[in-house]
Amino acid sequence: MSGHDHPKAIGGAIMDPLMKLLLAIFGISLVVMLYRFFAGIGPVSNMTDGYAWGIWEPINVVVFTGIGAGAYSVGLLCYLLNNGRYHPFVRPAVLLGAIAYSLGGSSILIALGRYWNAYLLGAVPFWNLNSVLLEVAVCVISYVCVLWVEVLPAVMDGAARSGSPGFAAWGKKWGPRLASAMPYIIALAIVLPTMHQSSLGGLMLIAGPKLHPLWHTGLLPFLALVSCLSMGYGAVVVLTTVLKYAWKAKHDQELFADMSKVNGGLLFLFAAARVGELAVHGKLKYLAVPDFHLFFFVLEMALFLVPAFMFFSSKVQRDRGRLFGAALMTVAAGALWRVDTYLTAFNGGPGWNYWPSLGEVAVTVGMAALGMAVFVLVSRLFPVVVVEDVHQTSVGAGRVRAAASR
Amino acid sequence: MSEMSPRETFMAELETKGVSRRGFLKVCTLAAGAVGLPAWAGEKMAEQAASGAKPPVIWLHFQECTGCSESLLRTSAPDVAELILGLISLDYHETLMVPSGHQAEKSLEESMEKNAGKYVLVIEGAIPTKEDGIYCIVGGHTAIETTKRVAAKAAAIISIGSCASWGGIPSADPNPTGAVGVNKIITDKPIVNIPGCPANPYNLLGTVLQFATFGTLPALDDLGRPKFAYARTIHEDCPRRAHFDAGRFVQKFGDEAHRAGHCLYKLGCKGPATHANCSLNHFVEMPGAWPIGIGHPCFGCTEQKIGFRMPLHDTVDVERPTAPGTYPPVHADHGVVTPAAVGVSGLIVGAMVGAGYVASKKMSADSEKSKGKG
Amino acid sequence: MQISRRSLLKGAAAAGAAVALTGKAEAREKMEPRPDAVGMLYDSTKCVGCRACVTKCKEANGLPYDRGNGAIYDAPADLSSTTKNIIKVASSGEKSAFMKQQCMHCVDPSCVSVCMMGALHKEGEGTRKIDGEKKGTGIVLYDKNTCVGCRYCQIACAYVVPKFEWNAAFPLIVKCELCRHRGDPKQEGPLAVANPACCEVCPREAVIYGKREDLLAEAKRRIAADPQRYNGQVYGEREGGGTQVLYLAGAGIKFEELGLPKLPEESSAHFSESVSHAPYLHGITPIALFATAAFVIRRNKKKEAAEHHGEGT
Repeated sequence: MSGHDHPKAIGGAIMDPLMKLLLAIFGISLVVMLYRFFAGIGPVSNMTDGYAWGIWEPINVVVFTGIGAGAYSVGLLCYLLNNGRYHPFVRPAVLLGAIAYSLGGSSILIALGRYWNAYLLGAVPFWNLNSVLLEVAVCVISYVCVLWVEVLPAVMDGAARSGSPGFAAWGKKWGPRLASAMPYIIALAIVLPTMHQSSLGGLMLIAGPKLHPLWHTGLLPFLALVSCLSMGYGAVVVLTTVLKYAWKAKHDQELFADMSKVNGGLLFLFAAARVGELAVHGKLKYLAVPDFHLFFFVLEMALFLVPAFMFFSSKVQRDRGRLFGAALMTVAAGALWRVDTYLTAFNGGPGWNYWPSLGEVAVTVGMAALGMAVFVLVSRLFPVVVVEDVHQTSVGAGRVRAAASR
Repeated sequence: MSEMSPRETFMAELETKGVSRRGFLKVCTLAAGAVGLPAWAGEKMAEQAASGAKPPVIWLHFQECTGCSESLLRTSAPDVAELILGLISLDYHETLMVPSGHQAEKSLEESMEKNAGKYVLVIEGAIPTKEDGIYCIVGGHTAIETTKRVAAKAAAIISIGSCASWGGIPSADPNPTGAVGVNKIITDKPIVNIPGCPANPYNLLGTVLQFATFGTLPALDDLGRPKFAYARTIHEDCPRRAHFDAGRFVQKFGDEAHRAGHCLYKLGCKGPATHANCSLNHFVEMPGAWPIGIGHPCFGCTEQKIGFRMPLHDTVDVERPTAPGTYPPVHADHGVVTPAAVGVSGLIVGAMVGAGYVASKKMSADSEKSKGKG
Repeated sequence: MQISRRSLLKGAAAAGAAVALTGKAEAREKMEPRPDAVGMLYDSTKCVGCRACVTKCKEANGLPYDRGNGAIYDAPADLSSTTKNIIKVASSGEKSAFMKQQCMHCVDPSCVSVCMMGALHKEGEGTRKIDGEKKGTGIVLYDKNTCVGCRYCQIACAYVVPKFEWNAAFPLIVKCELCRHRGDPKQEGPLAVANPACCEVCPREAVIYGKREDLLAEAKRRIAADPQRYNGQVYGEREGGGTQVLYLAGAGIKFEELGLPKLPEESSAHFSESVSHAPYLHGITPIALFATAAFVIRRNKKKEAAEHHGEGT
């Protein structure tokens, strides 16, 4: 398994039954979104003044971007710690990240009540630097751009290999230029998520009086950061395993097992920090109250700790299915912790209760379907995924190839 | 010609005065209704009256303006006054009786003797107590003496009007004559207080007729006032109540809100603390003939602590605010949880968990197989 | 080599934790009431529930009557996008007390802290210079021109005061703004700044308007003059960092029963900002991180390119 495996455009029929299904699901959510713009947010959602964000912020933005943090997690290992073995998995992770963040960003635009003022986010003098959400918004928008720039090498690679001369020339010309700028872009791609992923935890710092003590803590940004890295590693394993079964993508069990040990360490760190903080601030007493909060806390901790132990078991490390299952659990753990912090542990006020409406569910599911559709589309058209047993062909100049394998 | 029965005589008398049998029954039913008695009681009263069993009433006047008597007579239809006087035997009334001077006093003594223990004593006006009560002397006797003497043999004592009930206007600061209500003079017998300035005549009528017909007095509150008339505050039955509830208040006399008939609370209406039934039993049988009806705030004439004591335009506490049920609770109920959405979300989450588990198991099996293959 | 890289990652994570924890140290000062802070004092024992204030508020702010939403005829059931002020009743058994709800105009508001573009701001202190605003009064105002409708203010406010026009295509956030538009510059004192309609119309002076320090003194004077009447506390003196709308409640009635939450003295804004700002060290951390990352990545790429060239193709 050398680092010289080349990604390849998967090709194949674009409008296959899966794509049609995904687009149909997205179509439903598109109708809901259009109605939202005409009639207001109220008619399509169950959001109320007590639960102003519904599920669009917690899931579409916070969970999706957590999943998209695969680009961040793998990028850290690959570029910062210079572990070239991760190269084949960077492109799919980056594409996943770019898509997940784009979904998050567009979901925000739909969720914003006065979306037409969103351009003001660029007006630096108007920035309220105390607002955590501002940091999230600006950082996420910047990061979306960075991620798509990070996807560009795949596009240029595909261009360089393509039959059309104009496109190929463009790819060959700009590929190396992009390659030389990549270190700075990747550095950005490390700093930006560090900032906004921790801020996504920090969003709920202000809601102290309304957040259950088992979730509200000054460690929220730290916990968010740790869990997003963990989610990222888990998401990469899940994604690549699925791609292996779908497209015979390259899947390095040993590598993933190693990576999952890092994940396991993060999971233990998360659990320790969380429980430690509870102990230090005298909040362990809440664990004695048998209510639905306790149920979710226990479920979360189980989802964090079970895979942590699994990752260090050699049986799991050797078994693709078990590793997949454990990785899936880490994604679920991070997702659940986020949903809990924003929704189940959040008390909008006495007399307020909330459950997402069908409209909200439709938009969330539809956006996820769109994301999958875009991933499939891009992977079919451009060399993103490294496929097993690919023939090594000499394409383009050596420098482009070197750039391509990043 | 055969002798007419007392009833026939009575009815014939009424006929000559232009009162039909129907009109007569109507008044009796009204009076019964005023005391909260059923309609058939009105008929019984009519029968009693017709059969000549009219209750004797002795009416004494002291420190008063005669307004309460006037309100009894100021009916909108003349026949009602006649009826009222026809239903009772008014043996002594200084304003209305025909004799005067010694003859009047003689009537009083005769009635007291003839009806000893049976007559109803109605007192209108306050009784001065300073300097042994010299500030009201009628026929050489102080009000205190007369009250005690006549009350001794009365079957029932009624104080009509605020003056007799608790002192009224004469007792306003500085109360130079030491005016008090009848219940401060007669302390050993039950006294029915019918305060008001003037008192509502139907309150008196109902009380007297109930006594005459059934021999009982209406239920009284702790100030001796008949509950049928004084249990509720003006505020609770006020025709302008909707405006109070909606926050529409008159700010100044003559402003737009005043023209529109909005609530007078801000102008100092004492309705919320005043027990009376002015808005329900109308004076002069005319619905608008009372302070609030003509656009002036109620001044609490029935209440000793308010009438002629509190400044006219001072606002007063609401004695019994509307039952909390019509105010929103501190924590309103919000939020919609639709079963369909719950179901769908549950299905999606369940499907994802299930799919993940199945996939994991399948991959595990594959992994074993491929390892077996080498 | 691998072990040290892993430990580098772990070490970085641990360092991050340390920073986050120590970040709770005073990274941000406690916010004091503005010098000319104005507000209201509501005395629940004087209120008769006449609701003149509810009607007058609607009239003064051009708000329509509520329909539906649990409203009885046109009487609102709660604060909403058409109701900026409401009277509620809290009853337990025989006892009942009235409660007036509207924006608390906090000394250190959570909504102001979280608003991305400063749409919610204290008068004269927004990110945008708005005509006619005088700094120092501490009134929390709303500028629809910079609001993006993110509704973070609704999440942040401990009193659930800001309301949103859910059923409008072009929605606004709605809340009491102390009738600043009714202030008369020709007047003396606080009335030059604002003139809340509810205070003006109240027939019992149960809610009054004035400078916060005067109102606080008055509230304490009332408690001292008649201690049996009140529960002994002035709500808003210190709760959540203090509010500019103060409350007095009757004896035996707890503020929580009136719907005023129990809050610590530290404002949520202070907590959130302290924790969030601490790791940034005024912007040094992100720059340093970027520089370090860029340096390391470039060096790694050069190494790898050297390896490739060395291997040949």
